[in-house]
Amino acid sequence: MAAEPNKQAIFTAMREAIENYDSDASTEAAQQAVDSGIDLLEAVEEGFAGPIRKLGEAFDRMEIFLPQLMLGSDAMKAGMAVLEEAITAGGGKILSKGTVVIGTVEGDIHDIGKTVVAALLQANGYTVHDLGVEVPASRFIEAAESRNVQIIAMSALLSTTMLYQRDVVELLGNKGLREKYFALVGGAPVTQAWAEEIGADGYARGPYEAVQLLDGKKEAWAE
Amino acid sequence: MNFKEIAKRGETGPLTEANDFLMKRVSANVLKLEKKYQISWDGKTLINLDDEMADRCWQAARELLLASGIFSMNSKRIIELSAEEIDEALRFAPAELPMGQGKDAVRAYHRQVEDPRRPFVFSGPFNADASEEHFVKLNEAFAQERLIDSLLFPGYLKKLDGQMIRPTSALASRAAMLYGQWSREAVRRAGRPGMPITGHAVMALNEIACTNEQWGLRSTDPRAMVLISELQVDDVTMTRLAYYLAYGCPIYMAFTPLIGGYGGGPAGTAIVAVASFIAAVVLGGEIVHIGPQHIKFKQQTNMHSLFLAGLANQAVARNSSIIATTSHTTSGRPGSEQYAREFSALALTAVTSGSNVTGPRPAEPLGFNNVSPLMARLFAEVSQAASGLKRSQAAEIVARLYDTYKDKLDLEQAPKGQAFEELYDLQTLRPTAEHQALYEKLKEELGNLGVPLA
Repeated sequence: MAAEPNKQAIFTAMREAIENYDSDASTEAAQQAVDSGIDLLEAVEEGFAGPIRKLGEAFDRMEIFLPQLMLGSDAMKAGMAVLEEAITAGGGKILSKGTVVIGTVEGDIHDIGKTVVAALLQANGYTVHDLGVEVPASRFIEAAESRNVQIIAMSALLSTTMLYQRDVVELLGNKGLREKYFALVGGAPVTQAWAEEIGADGYARGPYEAVQLLDGKKEAWAE
Repeated sequence: MNFKEIAKRGETGPLTEANDFLMKRVSANVLKLEKKYQISWDGKTLINLDDEMADRCWQAARELLLASGIFSMNSKRIIELSAEEIDEALRFAPAELPMGQGKDAVRAYHRQVEDPRRPFVFSGPFNADASEEHFVKLNEAFAQERLIDSLLFPGYLKKLDGQMIRPTSALASRAAMLYGQWSREAVRRAGRPGMPITGHAVMALNEIACTNEQWGLRSTDPRAMVLISELQVDDVTMTRLAYYLAYGCPIYMAFTPLIGGYGGGPAGTAIVAVASFIAAVVLGGEIVHIGPQHIKFKQQTNMHSLFLAGLANQAVARNSSIIATTSHTTSGRPGSEQYAREFSALALTAVTSGSNVTGPRPAEPLGFNNVSPLMARLFAEVSQAASGLKRSQAAEIVARLYDTYKDKLDLEQAPKGQAFEELYDLQTLRPTAEHQALYEKLKEELGNLGVPLA
């Protein structure tokens, strides 16, 4: 019985660390959770997953903006690293909605749109590996193959660079990997028609639509 | 500070990661400066009427640029600037700029808040995808609109011979040359051979292939560069800039601050926007184009963007001689009533706030040639009419216009419009009767709302 108040206090500390965008406090609270011996999967949900979802909702309502969303995600990542290590050591596993590699395609240096999608996916329970900008087709695939990835997300801001999204899909096919990944495309000039033309699995007009689309498909790669 | 010094600092300035530049140098400083200078949005104002806040926004922006510098994305170095260097660049920013040739030569100029002089109008396909087949005709149709001062971005040649064009490929060089040739041909056919063409052929270095004094874009044609959000430049832009500065072209420098991004909400992003105006001038920009992006709406006539356009332009108009112009992108598309209501709302805001005008264009054109020269005429007429209004008068009309489209901003739901070849008779290059009727109806409606159209 004595563990209950302690557990709630730890959850509160974890939640506040996310709400205050504080990575150090998040790490500290996560370590307290590990040291106290409480159920760490419950800690993930109550301490981190719930608050980060709320942050995503506040971002959606434009009550907070990209910097806060990124700082909140960073704080969660810092604490999650501590919890994940302990859970894995104990033979457990944290369930993620899916693992994504995301990047802006070759020849395109535009970062912000892709960064927003990455932050919002993370806030909504996806594990995200952000490859940055000017990512060649082969690097998307190497990154996906070297991690336990289900989704390859490609951003392009220019009419002229969006055809590199086609190259990623085509190269996946050439390597016999096309069915292994959900290929998601987005960016200002990209349309549903373009996604269909190149054989991508999904098109998202913006970050919110990306989350909705993947949430709707997640049963396909659920473990 | 000359371009050589800027380029040198791009190679020798402090080394950092892009994320650190954006979060620590931009976001963190914007948060502080928003409070220090009390820059805020009340959640309802469409056109700012507070001159003191516009002046504070200018001070905040100057301080932001001083604290942040400009990030060179490829070298990952910060081009740091001193207060003296910033002020010197502003002192030498031209208040007037000639462009074009012969009888078609014109001058763009700095405007004041509520300036009674008509705004300079940049209009054309505005980089919408243009088909090879209709490229010359649709540009000719824009060029024959006499209220358009400079043909703007004659359209992306996305495909040649059915083949999509990769930006750094030989095909892209060929596309850039055809862009130059066909744009020149279009203004010739319209009887304005010296009309300035504000150009940006493809987003790559081989874009400079469109340059040729006989058949292509000339040293008297403004050449467009785009800063990357926020306060960043890349090697391709800097290399094009080096070439076009040396070639002697007027430099049209655009930037696209993101509302909801690293600058935060509309007030914070207005500070970033004004800092970008100043950064553009420091880099060599002579006409500076603001094209705010929005994290949700992805267009420029929502209430956040209207407020930002007003405040940022007023800050610039009141505190510098910068020749400013404002981009107009809408949810509604050409051929729809909503298109005109949206661009009119923003034109009334921008023009009364001291800006010239660039546009209009749908934020998400559907397919090729989703443009209307006739709607560009209406845009120019509304912009001209707006120069006879005070901000308070414009604000009343903008509020009425905004009410008509505020619930239809979603790009997927917004009217699809029609392509140029459906809106125009391609033999005569005149609007179809239906499109002409739409124009007459909208003009009457705008007049009834209080826009003083001739």
